[in-house]
Amino acid sequence: MKKPAVPLLIYDFAQQGSEVAISKGMPGLRIQYFRGPVWAKTPDQLRKQIVDGNNPITKRPVMQELVEKLTQPLTAEEKKMGEIKRDKGPATFTGTPRELQKMFLEKRFTDFLPVILPTEDLVDEMLKATSHKPDEVLGKMNPGSEAGETWTYTVKDAAINAVMAGAKPEYFPVILALGSTGMTAVNVSDNGFMAGAVINGSIRDEIGLNYEIGAVGPYAHANTTIGRAWHLLSINGGNCGKVGTTYMGTIGNAMNLIGIIIAENERDSPFQPLSVRRGFKPGESIVTPFIGWGILSAKNWKANVWGPNMDYPKIAKDIYNTQDMMFGTCIVLSPPIANFIKDAGYDTVEKFTQWVTTPEGGAAAPAPAPKGPGGFGMPGGNVTVVVTGGSNNNYWSIGGMRPSQSVQIDKWR
Amino acid sequence: MKLRVMVITLLCAGLFCGLQGAGNQVSAQGEKAAPVEQKITVLNPLGTPPPVALKAMAERLNTLDGKTIYFVNTGYIGTDRLMSVMMDWFKANYPKANVEYKVSKGGMTGVDKALWAEIGEKADAAILGLGH
Repeated sequence: MKKPAVPLLIYDFAQQGSEVAISKGMPGLRIQYFRGPVWAKTPDQLRKQIVDGNNPITKRPVMQELVEKLTQPLTAEEKKMGEIKRDKGPATFTGTPRELQKMFLEKRFTDFLPVILPTEDLVDEMLKATSHKPDEVLGKMNPGSEAGETWTYTVKDAAINAVMAGAKPEYFPVILALGSTGMTAVNVSDNGFMAGAVINGSIRDEIGLNYEIGAVGPYAHANTTIGRAWHLLSINGGNCGKVGTTYMGTIGNAMNLIGIIIAENERDSPFQPLSVRRGFKPGESIVTPFIGWGILSAKNWKANVWGPNMDYPKIAKDIYNTQDMMFGTCIVLSPPIANFIKDAGYDTVEKFTQWVTTPEGGAAAPAPAPKGPGGFGMPGGNVTVVVTGGSNNNYWSIGGMRPSQSVQIDKWR
Repeated sequence: MKLRVMVITLLCAGLFCGLQGAGNQVSAQGEKAAPVEQKITVLNPLGTPPPVALKAMAERLNTLDGKTIYFVNTGYIGTDRLMSVMMDWFKANYPKANVEYKVSKGGMTGVDKALWAEIGEKADAAILGLGH
């Protein structure tokens, strides 16, 4: 628009604002900072907090600074043109293992847990698990919005991070498939989004993914290290997960460490696998990434009252009706609950979800998805059903997670 | 006799080796020495950031008097209230400036091309928000 402009930004985002300004080619962008939050404040509160307040960084009056940013001539520094060239730094680092672990931690290459140091030998071994060339661009990723830069990463970058996560080479095609989506596992949003993935097909048994007791827990090597590799690739390949710039979750989300990697229990499920319902062949190895809030025990809802007789379809529907539409509803059933639902007359997931989403007493269409904070329309109202876990009791989980594009894993062998 | 000499020799050799081994762990000052770690070379795990082409910033205004300033709401909750009180301040402190409130259809991540064109044509400056 070629007119002087000043963006307004909460000062907690100053570091992020500065990085975004650089990435957009205007390192001198004049941003006006003030104390937040703004949401839910009355006009009087906003006047006192912002209009009559100081910029917490400079300690100077907000409105005076705002006027100056519109009227003070540009400095020589602000008028500079050209290109800022950047690279990833040296290709290798040399030191003792102890020194390197410390350096990786300080450079924020890690999730703050020790990593397997990625030597050339280990990375080569990982790369043998795919036919793709090491320098092939695997994907581009940003922290989830224009609030961060979009970085590029190769198959070799993914292998380095897979080694660091402790993954075995046989898991690498799954990690590549996830990386190929460009979807970050660590979203910048101040909401505190998390990511997960559902894995279907023969690869589950081939690499020992756990889909029985404890399936969604962290105590299975394949599930855990695949999740960790995706998260480390997001941190290093996609410049995500940096508190203050590319990780701004107000509270944060504990599921951002390794996400939720769910292998479906296709053997004990009475329903078609998620991948088949999405158009893939039975047995085909498929990974479907998810984004959302996460899941927790259905017992958290009053609708799930324990008793001698349980109407699980009704409970699921009652919980669905209390869910926010932003990420829809993800129902993670154990095989016994899935069978209860089937025995209640819903022999396909489609029949079940259609009934769940139909309002009581009528065939009116579900309410349209409301606009989320910020005005971005969120496709909502969807229900995803996944079956995993053991058959040792009638427990299950539910939450808000929305599936994204499913990817064939075999393409990455 | 030969056997006795051999046994004594072996015992002495064993004692010597044992002392040598102990010498590896205990320094002259009697402190334990840290095991020497070999240096290794590892690979950089980072992806590649994009190059940045610097863009020209617009020249600033020499005065606000007689100028039109657009307050552009990109959609975050509460921005309308904030911009309302900010515009009140401008009206009180810069009565010769003209402030106008606009809502961007592009939200926080998109560009409202029509509004951007309007700013280029009708506004002298813009204040955009809210980065929350």
